[in-house]
Amino acid sequence: MKTDYNKKTEEILNSLDTIHKAAAPDFFYTRLRARMEKESEVPATRPWILRPVYTFAALVIVLLVNAFVLFKENGANQTTTTVDPMQSIAAEYNLNDNSLYDIAQDK
Amino acid sequence: MSYIELLVFVSYSVKLKSHRPLTESELIQGLKEGDESAFKELVDTHKDRVYNTALGIVQNAEDAEDVAQEVFIQVFRSIHSFKGDAKLSTWLYRIATTRSLDLLRSKKSKKRFGIIQRLFGEGDEPAFEIPDFNHPGVALEQKENAARLFRAIGQLPENQKIAFTLHKLEDLSYQEVSEVMQTTVPAVESLMHRAKLNLRKILEKEMS
Repeated sequence: MKTDYNKKTEEILNSLDTIHKAAAPDFFYTRLRARMEKESEVPATRPWILRPVYTFAALVIVLLVNAFVLFKENGANQTTTTVDPMQSIAAEYNLNDNSLYDIAQDK
Repeated sequence: MSYIELLVFVSYSVKLKSHRPLTESELIQGLKEGDESAFKELVDTHKDRVYNTALGIVQNAEDAEDVAQEVFIQVFRSIHSFKGDAKLSTWLYRIATTRSLDLLRSKKSKKRFGIIQRLFGEGDEPAFEIPDFNHPGVALEQKENAARLFRAIGQLPENQKIAFTLHKLEDLSYQEVSEVMQTTVPAVESLMHRAKLNLRKILEKEMS
């Protein structure tokens, strides 16, 4: 049984001993030239910075920076608007200066 | 000698000269100058060996033609970097084997990606087995055995596959194979020995 296997293996291993070389298909040169011409017609590749993925990433970064600045501005505006009315009320009722007491003491 | 006889003689000598195959250095010089006829001569001279080498490695006629075309395009584009320290045919074999292995690697990674896609139910293409490769140069009575051997060659490690293919299919001597693979003759002998051992193991495993 093992000798049969060995014999068959040898047969398979020697099956390429009488092989002929394969020839390139007909009109190989014509097809090659056509491919070369087609490839030379392809426009030059764009620089990497102009590739859609980088353009899109740049756009996202700009939008994020814009959003960040906008929110920060809004936050700053809110704090000023909360402070401003207090100050204006204090100023209106003269709570911030001692002029009233000064007047009372004078009397 | 009359004027007409002289004209005939000159035109005959020019014709003879134009049909004389270019020497390798003339061919390289012509290629470097972008001479179309030199490129055609290069392709006509070497297309069969490049195609046969690629066919032995990629084991598919269309892929082999693609690889062979890529080899000549690469030669056309990078002939200026050819220093002439090896024969033109050696350089061509080297590019052909590298390109063929690149193609096999990309096919392998695509196959892996396809398997992953199918796992997640995304791939629509049905899974099918690649049919056995039938080399056109194999005799009819050896077709079945040769197909089994090619299937086993496909499972060899890259270096062993290259050495075996160049030696068995292209009839290159160990010396020539070593020049293509940029290694030593003993290293090629060792690669061939291991290739034969591995092939025997693969074939025996298949049969048992």
